Amino acid sequence: MTSEMSGSGQDDRGLTPADLQNVRFTRATMMHPGYVDSEVDRVLSRVAEELGRLYAEKAALRDQVRSLQAQVDGIVIPVPPSEQAVRILSAAQQTADTYVAEAEEFSRQMTSDARAEYEEQVRRARENAGAILQAAQEAAANIGGLAPVPAEPRHRSVEELEEQVAYLKAFGQACRVQLRSYLEALLGDVESEWGRADPGALPPGVRPPAQRVRGVLESAPSTTFESNTVADTPPDDTAEDGRPVRAVSGRSS
Amino acid sequence: MDIPAMRANFGKAAATGDEAPLYFYSHLFLSHPETRQMFPVSMAHQRDRLFAALGDVMARVDDLDALVPILQQLGRDHRKFGTLAAHYPAVGASLLATLEHFDDEWTPELAKSWSEAYDVVASVMIQAADDAAEEPAWWEADVLSHERRTIDVAVLQVRPRTRYEYLPGQSVSLETDRRPRLWRYYSPANAPRPDGLLEIHVKARDGGPVSTALVRRVGVGDVLRLGPPMGHLTLKEDSDRDLLLVAGGMGLAPLKAVIDQVDRNGPPRRVDLFVGFRTEDQIYDRADLRRLEQEHPWLTVTYAVSEDKLSSLEQGEVGDVVLRHGPWLSREVCVAGPAPMVEDTVSRLRQHGIPEQRISSEVFAPSRPGPSVDGEVTE
Repeated sequence: MTSEMSGSGQDDRGLTPADLQNVRFTRATMMHPGYVDSEVDRVLSRVAEELGRLYAEKAALRDQVRSLQAQVDGIVIPVPPSEQAVRILSAAQQTADTYVAEAEEFSRQMTSDARAEYEEQVRRARENAGAILQAAQEAAANIGGLAPVPAEPRHRSVEELEEQVAYLKAFGQACRVQLRSYLEALLGDVESEWGRADPGALPPGVRPPAQRVRGVLESAPSTTFESNTVADTPPDDTAEDGRPVRAVSGRSS
Repeated sequence: MDIPAMRANFGKAAATGDEAPLYFYSHLFLSHPETRQMFPVSMAHQRDRLFAALGDVMARVDDLDALVPILQQLGRDHRKFGTLAAHYPAVGASLLATLEHFDDEWTPELAKSWSEAYDVVASVMIQAADDAAEEPAWWEADVLSHERRTIDVAVLQVRPRTRYEYLPGQSVSLETDRRPRLWRYYSPANAPRPDGLLEIHVKARDGGPVSTALVRRVGVGDVLRLGPPMGHLTLKEDSDRDLLLVAGGMGLAPLKAVIDQVDRNGPPRRVDLFVGFRTEDQIYDRADLRRLEQEHPWLTVTYAVSEDKLSSLEQGEVGDVVLRHGPWLSREVCVAGPAPMVEDTVSRLRQHGIPEQRISSEVFAPSRPGPSVDGEVTE
């Protein structure tokens, strides 16, 4: 081998592919016990190739290391948070949780109260409507086929009127009967009085007949009246009876 | 992994009640502030759920066959929250810090066990999320109509902007911008339709943030986000028995989906639907049920009211009304509604002589923020 080989071998850069390319093997003696040239050359070229690949790889790795280093330098490794920080954040979080929970609870109460109120109102309205409907149906049933839209006040007045009509009929009947019996009694009285009467017994200065009649009336009515009432009027109408009779007597005066 | 030691350690943290999850989330948000926006303002329910879920995982940690599907479902479902693979190490670090904080006998071995266990859990969840990457993390859906049917019930028609696959009887998680980061489950009231429309029935729960917003605030033109569908089927596919469907209140929605499924996919069968409400004017979907009844001679709808003496409808609890109409011994039965109604109806039907395996029931709790560890959103 040439001295070049060993010289470059001492170089700081180490063995380069070029170093290998420049290696020249010294010819051997005539006895040629040395290497076969072709084999040596082949080996040399393979070594050169390999070395070249390694150099390329080394360059790539150096680049990679540089970029990674740059990344690592940029990263702040997260320091585990201090106990104090954890406690403070925990307290803050719990405060927030409490507020949210209170807001939710408030909303829950409001809505459930509102719902209960709503349901109660609807229920009450329904019941009212139901009661009104029922009353209307009963009213309709009572009136029968009379009126398709039975209104309660009107129904009452019809009934009342019917009652009043019936009462008035009965009252009129009673009045007529009483009046007739009274007049008959009066006639009877007059006949008997006048029949018995002696014109000579009349006091001097003839009294007007009206006064005369009144006098009779005033003395006689109790008997006449009583007999009439008992005979002709229903007992529950007694109170009403007196008035027409007196009115009659008043009018007759 | 030293599982008994991990269980003992977890027990100490869980015994603190709210303390440990509070510490965990504060630690997480301080070390990774970007994760805060993935959570709602109030963290109270979130905290309960975290340790409940961790407890479920711990209970199954030595039964990987059971645990892996649960974790896969969790991983897929977390995509809708915007969870990325990069978030998992952050959560792991805060979890370990929490477990260490509440254990006086914390050891490096314990830390190593937890770290290994968490890596397994995280990798399963991340893998499942990646496997589902070809479908959207969430679907945006336009509100096409919004009808207030009663004082507190609304029926919404929503159309996802991209194809949304689900099975009848499954539930859909919903989020609205009016209540960000709060997801709730609802059952569509129809089987999948060619036009992709979903009918959603919502009752405003007193103080319920999402349901009240959906009933009173959301309107036509709003956009909802839908998560992937979850939950079980209400209808067995291998049966063609006639159906008896019993709904209490909002339990009507999934049963209406069953009717829709019978209509679209058969097999032909008689369907008797009983719907129970407290009062007659709470029956919010009467017009549409009347239409269905007219269109389908195989369908009969009977209403029951339990607290409305003036109504001319059938009086009594719906389970009672069902039995008055029997016998139902040959039927396949689905029951859906609030817990007392479902319990009452199922026990009556059992007494009536219907075998257990032919009764399927769903309880609709007032608020269903998330699925259980088994992926169920109803009970």
